[in-house]
Amino acid sequence: MKSAIHRMPVLATVVITLILVITACAAPPVIEKPVIQTQVVEKQVMVTQVVEKQVVVTATPAPVPTKAAQPVNLRFTIWSSNEKHLAMLNGFAAAYKATHPNVTVQFDTIPFADYATKLAVQLAGSNPPDAGWMPESLAVPFLEAGAMNDLGPRVKNDAQYDFADLSKPAMSLYLKGDAVMGIPFSTSPHFMYYNIDLFTKAGIDTPDKMYANKQWTWDNLAKAAKTIKDKTGVFGFQSVSAGIYKEYLTQSLAEFTRAWGGDIWDAEGKTCLLSKPESVASVQWYYDMVFKDKSAVPPGEEVDFFSGGAALRPGYLSEVSRLEKATFKWGVIRLPEGPAGWSSVIGQSSIVAFKASRNQETVIDFIAFMTNKENSKTMAQFFPSIRKSVLESPDFLKANPLVPADMMKDHVVPSIANGRLLPTHTNFEKIRLAITPIFDAMWKPNANVQTSMDKACEAMKPLLNK
Amino acid sequence: MAPAKPISHFFGKTPLARRDALYGYLFILPQMLGFFAFVLGPLLAVFVFSTQNRSLLQPGITFVGLANYERLLTKDPLFWQVMGNTLVFAGGLVPLNVVLALVLALVVSQKLRGIVFFRTLYFVPVVTSAVAWAIVWRFLLQGERGTINQILTMIGIEGPNWLRDPGWAMFWVILTRTLKGVGINMIIFLAAIMDLPGELFDAASVDGANGWQRLRHITLPLLAPTTLLVTLLVMIGSLKVFDTVFLMTAGGPANATLVLVNYIYMVGFQFFESGYASALSVVLFLITLGLTLLQWGMRRRFSYNEQ
Repeated sequence: MKSAIHRMPVLATVVITLILVITACAAPPVIEKPVIQTQVVEKQVMVTQVVEKQVVVTATPAPVPTKAAQPVNLRFTIWSSNEKHLAMLNGFAAAYKATHPNVTVQFDTIPFADYATKLAVQLAGSNPPDAGWMPESLAVPFLEAGAMNDLGPRVKNDAQYDFADLSKPAMSLYLKGDAVMGIPFSTSPHFMYYNIDLFTKAGIDTPDKMYANKQWTWDNLAKAAKTIKDKTGVFGFQSVSAGIYKEYLTQSLAEFTRAWGGDIWDAEGKTCLLSKPESVASVQWYYDMVFKDKSAVPPGEEVDFFSGGAALRPGYLSEVSRLEKATFKWGVIRLPEGPAGWSSVIGQSSIVAFKASRNQETVIDFIAFMTNKENSKTMAQFFPSIRKSVLESPDFLKANPLVPADMMKDHVVPSIANGRLLPTHTNFEKIRLAITPIFDAMWKPNANVQTSMDKACEAMKPLLNK
Repeated sequence: MAPAKPISHFFGKTPLARRDALYGYLFILPQMLGFFAFVLGPLLAVFVFSTQNRSLLQPGITFVGLANYERLLTKDPLFWQVMGNTLVFAGGLVPLNVVLALVLALVVSQKLRGIVFFRTLYFVPVVTSAVAWAIVWRFLLQGERGTINQILTMIGIEGPNWLRDPGWAMFWVILTRTLKGVGINMIIFLAAIMDLPGELFDAASVDGANGWQRLRHITLPLLAPTTLLVTLLVMIGSLKVFDTVFLMTAGGPANATLVLVNYIYMVGFQFFESGYASALSVVLFLITLGLTLLQWGMRRRFSYNEQ
């Protein structure tokens, strides 16, 4: 009796601890996260012509007949929650259903910040999605894990699909021998947004004038940013997606290092290039803006270009919709030139079929339908296409009502044509998280950029390809 | 408490007792099914996973024995940094939280006009969304434009960039977490204080004990079981912390606030290494279990009135 009483608290302790700890370890912690800006989730305004275009979406008859009797439900993961994107996508689903009455497609939104995690969990689970969007940063690890299905046999042998119309350099990530592991639907270059009011207030030339005078360089941008900060008190420059201190570190590094003739790692992903003199000079350039000129938004500061908190900010074209209700005059232009010339950086999102799907044939056919000529034109209102016929069509230049046609012609089209994809790697996340602490330590006054970049390369070494 | 029975007598000796027992087990069955399926099952699975090399992305699973444990003990310097951070976090949070909760409870237990307002005030952070709480603090603690630094500037002090400085970042994560959770512990202490027998205090007053002596020799000893409970809860909570760190610093700067659960999340859901993440989870489980048992074992030493 006594010993039983004595044991009870121990037993109770074990049970309580089990319960408390399991809630920490076994389940992925589900928490709300702050909305993180991504390249395609912005609101956009559609002009009436575009709406009409949506209505005339027609389904090309599928060469592979689906089993008519069997109802098929396809689940398609995306990271946009924009109503207009969803309306367009649901339009594709409805048009497909018109010719394939047994097929229902459901688009599931997973916020971008959770996309990799939730997608991986769902693919490992018992109800995997059939298809989904894939950002370039995840493509390599998912491809190497064999998570995607080959679309080649379906899209290459369909004359109407016109596979030759897709720009092959833009597809490089997904062409594996004869296999086609995904179809890029959005090839989105980085641009520079600027706040005209702040330039006027500081009494200096706006970026479009600098561009016209062939003075649109990163160095001149830094000078303009300093003048603006000194004269108006508002920060001159903010990094892409306001994220150089957080999850968009590599995106910013790609912009700067490449313009100086460096990069983060080489094309094979074998060698770290951050400690190269060119890369170091570019990081030093940004570092000086933050800590010497005090003109770039420093770490830990919660300001935003779109609410007037900075004069210049690189971003994606799809972010233009955030300026719809801007209280200031603004402009958008290609990225400036660096010492190594002009370097356009592009992010890319693709549509892939997952191997875990139980409806392989149907989902591949649906992807072929979604990315055919007609529907690619429809998608191009939001997402720059890799179909030559779409990029060269006059409709594309008028596709975005907030951006004037000559801006599209002079800056958007060449940025896509000359763009180089953001860095990708099998160990992308590991590399990012390995170098982040080193950059964290560097983001303070009197740091040595060269030493930090040497350390970053050291940290990267075991993660690069052998 | 019912006397413990040998296993063979679980269903009773007589038919009636057996039927009673059967009904009893049927009543607890739904709860136990849930417990086995959603608590015990996953927990055991974590132990099994921790001996495997498995990835959320790759289909293959290989048995690797204790290799994951070997890796964390000998090949993963970040693990030791994470353990150090977790220790600093718990070591800061537990005393701060328990002492503050006790002091607040003693203060708000006074019968003063409007005291209910203060009780509510200290409790408000508990019912506030953890996400909003962390994000608002992030704004307050900005380098130049943060409210706290602006106030400091007014009195001529240039504050540091709080959340970007490794030492200060940990301090603020601990402090904001304490302020968020202290209210509930205050209520637990308050309930216990309200329940203390008044005659002991009257007797002590008659004997000439002053306020401090009454607190030191009556209140605190009588509160010992409550203190133990609160300490236990805060300690387990401190080892489990995730959201505050994730939202305020994301483990940075330079991994200075990366604690165990955040590291488990990083390994499991950013690197997709489920096997290694499971091994880390087992370590968290064992540490929590060990510390909890230790505290239970020590309870007699400072609990006077436990039966």
